[in-house]
Amino acid sequence: MKNRTQSRRPRRQSLQADGDGAKAFDRLYRAHVDRIYRFAQRLCRRVEDAQDLVQDTFLNAYRGLGQFRGDAQVSTWLYRIATRASLRQRRKRKGEPDRELSLDEFIPTSDGEFRLQIPTDGLTPEEALESKELRRAVHQAIQKLPNKYRVVLVLRDMEELTAKEVGSIMGLNERAVKSRLHRARLFVRRELSARGIAESRPPANALQRG
Amino acid sequence: MRATPRVMTTRQTSAPSHHGHSKAQCIKVLRRLSAYLDEDLSVSICEEIRKHLGACPNCEVFVTSLRETISLCRCADIPSLSPSVKARIRREILKAVRYH
Repeated sequence: MKNRTQSRRPRRQSLQADGDGAKAFDRLYRAHVDRIYRFAQRLCRRVEDAQDLVQDTFLNAYRGLGQFRGDAQVSTWLYRIATRASLRQRRKRKGEPDRELSLDEFIPTSDGEFRLQIPTDGLTPEEALESKELRRAVHQAIQKLPNKYRVVLVLRDMEELTAKEVGSIMGLNERAVKSRLHRARLFVRRELSARGIAESRPPANALQRG
Repeated sequence: MRATPRVMTTRQTSAPSHHGHSKAQCIKVLRRLSAYLDEDLSVSICEEIRKHLGACPNCEVFVTSLRETISLCRCADIPSLSPSVKARIRREILKAVRYH
């Protein structure tokens, strides 16, 4: 331990070094690791990436413990750290900016596109998701979303946060959150329905055209 | 699902595309569907959309598929982290904090 410099360090760093900081971190980790891992898995393609994201998130949280003022919920604070870490990871990997989703690209141009259906076969979502194939299809559809849309959809429709909370995590106003959410949902709908048709229906060009 | 718009089953969807309204009306509705499903619109706009859905089989099927999409996202569960991986990640973090 570098005791010589410790007295000059700000409180944040002394928290890291002393027992109270470790205890506070352990409490934080125990209480929130499952939630953040669930979030991470929803954001990441691979299990290993999700585990890395959990590690980055809690490492950054540990380092920021002294700065957390408690004016936000701890979970919101952790979501914010995880979201930033995830966007950083993806940017580093992909190296190019997010594609913008235009609302116009989701406006059907034919009856067939209007009538794309999700292959749930009349089952409840829980029953339908017993199918491994459908679970994989949902995960893949979400993974295909550009980053900034995927994070909004995961926070709002999967973690079930309010639009206001999502806005606070992402630094967006509610209107922007809702706009991204709508595009993200339309994207996933199209992905799932296209997959359903490919698997269980005649080819798309056999559908009635309007 | 919070909103309970009228639902049409998949067997009732073979009607012609437009029933006495322009496609522009469909587009207007489609642009607002998430807000509609999230009950984020005024009563009068919701009523307008409900009326349109009742008269337009295409949009009725569209809203059903969008609602199902949201439900699938909400219900999609994932495996939890094993105790051994949880412990490994914790160790890694404490090591990183100690040595940096």
